Amino acid sequence: MANLKELRGRIKSVASIAQITRAMEMVASMKLRKVQAKAQSFHPYTEEIRYMIERISGKVASEGDVPLFTRREVQTVGILVITSDRGLCGSYNSNLLFGLKRYADELIAAGKKVKFWCYGRKGYAWLTRRGFEVERFFVEPPLDRADFTAAKMIGQALVEAFTDGTIDEAKLYYTRFVSMIKFAPTNEGFLPISTIEVGKGAGDSSYDLDFLLEPDAAAVFNRLMPRYLETVVFDAMLQSLTSEHASRRMAMKGATDAAVRMNKGLKKIYNRARQENITKELLDIVGGASAVS
Amino acid sequence: MAELHLRIVTPDRTIVDRKVAGVRFAGIDGSYGILPHHAPLMTAIAQAGTVQITELDGKEIDLFASDGFAQVQNNVLTLVCEAGEFAHEIDLERVKAAEQKAREKLAGLDRLSTEFVKAEAALRKALAREMLARKGSGSTTLS
Repeated sequence: MANLKELRGRIKSVASIAQITRAMEMVASMKLRKVQAKAQSFHPYTEEIRYMIERISGKVASEGDVPLFTRREVQTVGILVITSDRGLCGSYNSNLLFGLKRYADELIAAGKKVKFWCYGRKGYAWLTRRGFEVERFFVEPPLDRADFTAAKMIGQALVEAFTDGTIDEAKLYYTRFVSMIKFAPTNEGFLPISTIEVGKGAGDSSYDLDFLLEPDAAAVFNRLMPRYLETVVFDAMLQSLTSEHASRRMAMKGATDAAVRMNKGLKKIYNRARQENITKELLDIVGGASAVS
Repeated sequence: MAELHLRIVTPDRTIVDRKVAGVRFAGIDGSYGILPHHAPLMTAIAQAGTVQITELDGKEIDLFASDGFAQVQNNVLTLVCEAGEFAHEIDLERVKAAEQKAREKLAGLDRLSTEFVKAEAALRKALAREMLARKGSGSTTLS
């Protein structure tokens, strides 16, 4: 049979695909562990910053002292989109970008302008392909080596755009890690800060409010806020990275399983064809022998 | 001997989490010395600051710590900073390169621009690190 050779080739290629996807799965789960460790060691820092803010927020007199809290009429919305640099990670990017498209369309329909900040090449490629205006695309450092400095840079860029009036509102569009098999695209408000209350009566009164503040509450608070925003950005980055690796691990596991299954089926077909061939040859020989005698 | 619990937290790791005898650090409006049973306090740390820890046995250890906050509560001093490293961890070569870069940048900038302020901050940090590294290499107090 002529397709024996062809089958052998297919079996070989499917086997090597399985090998590659298995390797990618392993790499992804290793990276996942690394990111999780990073998130773990970052946790205390967030806790401390958050705690300090809660302690101090009741001491800041009014909104006038804290520009990052001031609401304005929204004309332009800035969105930070966090995606992956690479593909082959299941529906991780498409899920996020699908929701983003709908959200952006809604904003535009409401007569608002939308500006994008991108982290991760996939999101950037997607947005530019659809003719959206990307304000800034963060290339360095690559997502794999994303550290707190990167979060700081991005946070500062957004704060700058917010304070100089380029945007009136900033949003984070990223993927939140729910569990190993569940990732939720999330749209989170970033600026103006709404997650924290300021002014009299704000903050948890169970904290000991009687403490020294040097030089004064507003000065410390306004220094604290950018740090807080950086932790928010970094958290979003870590969540996205964790989701990406978990998603890729899952996709690659699926691919490996499918390839193994396919290989099994192909082998069965191949063996059957081979056996058929042998039987045919044997029949030929027997037939030939009986004709001679 | 009275003890003070010191915690130094950075985004990467918790550097210090133990009892000490006293801590000195640079705040934005001057130098602070915190001894055990200090009154509750909250303040900001200088952009390029140094921290000096006095251990329970009287030894002193230097640290670089920048862009952060300090708070005292219930005899626990927490320093939350963006960067923090022990004097003996500082890579002098790298710091020198950073200093060089900052100086070059400063030379070509307008004094009133934000870039100038940023470069100046970078230079300050490099210089503070350099000072600590030099001091650290000569002393025997490091563990």
